[in-house]
Amino acid sequence: MRTATFNAALLCLFGWTQLFAAPPLPTEHLTVESLGPSNPHWIYAVDEAFYNETDARVNLFDGDSYRRLGQIDAGFNPGVNLSPDGKTTVIGTTYFSRGGHGTRTDVVEFTDNATLALTGEIVLPSKRANTLLTYFNLAYSADSHFLYVSYVTPASSFGVLDPAKKAVLGEVDTAGCVLVIPSGPNRVSSLCESGRLLTVTLDADGHEASRAMSEPFFDADVDPVFVQGVPIRNGYAFLSFLGEVHELDFSGPAPVIRAPWSIVSAAEKGHWRPGGQTVAAVHRGLGRLYVPMHRGGEGSHKSGGTQIWVFDMKTHQRMARWPLALGKLSPVIAIQVSQDDAPIVFAATDKSDVAVFDALTGQLKHVEKQLGQTTWFFLNP
Amino acid sequence: MRSIDRLFEHSTRSLAQRTSRRSVLAALGRILTGAALLPLLPIDRSSRAEAAQDGAGAAAAKASAKSIDDPNSCEYWKYCAIDGFLCSCCGGSSHTCPPGTSPSPITWIGTCHNPADARDYIVSYNDCCGKTSCGNCECNRNEREKPMYRLSRNNDVNWCMANADANYHCSVSVILGVAEQ
Repeated sequence: MRTATFNAALLCLFGWTQLFAAPPLPTEHLTVESLGPSNPHWIYAVDEAFYNETDARVNLFDGDSYRRLGQIDAGFNPGVNLSPDGKTTVIGTTYFSRGGHGTRTDVVEFTDNATLALTGEIVLPSKRANTLLTYFNLAYSADSHFLYVSYVTPASSFGVLDPAKKAVLGEVDTAGCVLVIPSGPNRVSSLCESGRLLTVTLDADGHEASRAMSEPFFDADVDPVFVQGVPIRNGYAFLSFLGEVHELDFSGPAPVIRAPWSIVSAAEKGHWRPGGQTVAAVHRGLGRLYVPMHRGGEGSHKSGGTQIWVFDMKTHQRMARWPLALGKLSPVIAIQVSQDDAPIVFAATDKSDVAVFDALTGQLKHVEKQLGQTTWFFLNP
Repeated sequence: MRSIDRLFEHSTRSLAQRTSRRSVLAALGRILTGAALLPLLPIDRSSRAEAAQDGAGAAAAKASAKSIDDPNSCEYWKYCAIDGFLCSCCGGSSHTCPPGTSPSPITWIGTCHNPADARDYIVSYNDCCGKTSCGNCECNRNEREKPMYRLSRNNDVNWCMANADANYHCSVSVILGVAEQ
């Protein structure tokens, strides 16, 4: 016993000696972190900050290291999108001159995604649509020559901007149709109450050259489509409240509306429904559709999913159902999938926890608690 | 057994002596008329029948009668398609804006059913504007709510958009009248 006590005392002394003998920590220099090269598992998580809505922001999050990499300020009730090359985040937002009140300034702000620094802005007329987050609040033309911004006053129209010259080029009335769905270098489509698609073609100066109406592809009374369309190969898919998938092909001079297909069986129809803030995501390479689904009736179209259903978009077959209760997750109200060969799914719950799944197996890899306050939309290149 | 027969015979004769045939017919008639009138009351049950089979119906069934009559509760009958913060929890009421804010002059309308008098009411959902989000009593209900392309039935847009001070603070539900069938 005496030997043991002696040895312990010796060890302690040795430790203290080592401590005093260790060189001091080097001095530090305050610098700004660099982002480093991006990877396909980075996600731009848009926090609407609904509880203090003048303070929305975009959190850049790494789905591999589960680290927050940085933040882009997004002002009040913003619209957010990425440039086609993924190098720029563009935010349409509103500021009040005295914080929560005062003179309204609507503006589009450009952020360099390599540094998260602001690189410029375009001041808009005070008409920007203040509404839920979609891909179509503001959007680039395919060649990035034009930037379109949805206006609602409540009369509806859209602005045409020149992002290179940071200028407003003009405004196009949309006769009650809403949002800006871009296609090609100079076409903008909008969703109409009649179930049709209005498509405006612009001239080289960004002014209206022609317009055309599609045939109706949905009935707003019987089964409305969500305005939160999802990018697919050559176009966008719009889901309906009852689970019909309307795929619109924008690769030609006029949109082609494909025959709809359903994500629910006859027995499930009206009982299992899509819903939430962002209602679906598509892996364009694999042709897989991910939809948060819930049991609910009329009026439940903003309820989050208790399961994520996975579909093959070619065969229209359901490939999997991922029950979220297993991961003790609350209902999922926003979803996104990375577009690489080892894809991951990001799913935001109604408590703004963000779950990361293996997109091929459904394995829950991580839950990031409270990534923002009300994270309702995800963007990735 | 015989005693039971006698008992029933006695009670039947006694009832017959105390009750006229006409009064029995009148009472029966009242019951039948009431039953016939009930389905004529102005209640749209179609959506509720569908909802009752699903989660929304189950949730509604759970809502106590107290919360359906409580303007500070999201279950309050007038809030059937409100989306935002309840002004009644922010210094206003179900139909008044909090001090220092301004009502939105433009709005959207919906129809809500009041179980207390079995009537459907047309309500106007206005936003109260000019201060940042109240942040209290968030409520998101969407009966018969439609996407943005049907703007007059949409609760996603900021209805303060046309106000001098366009910031969104909270939402109210104002009775405009009884919905005629």
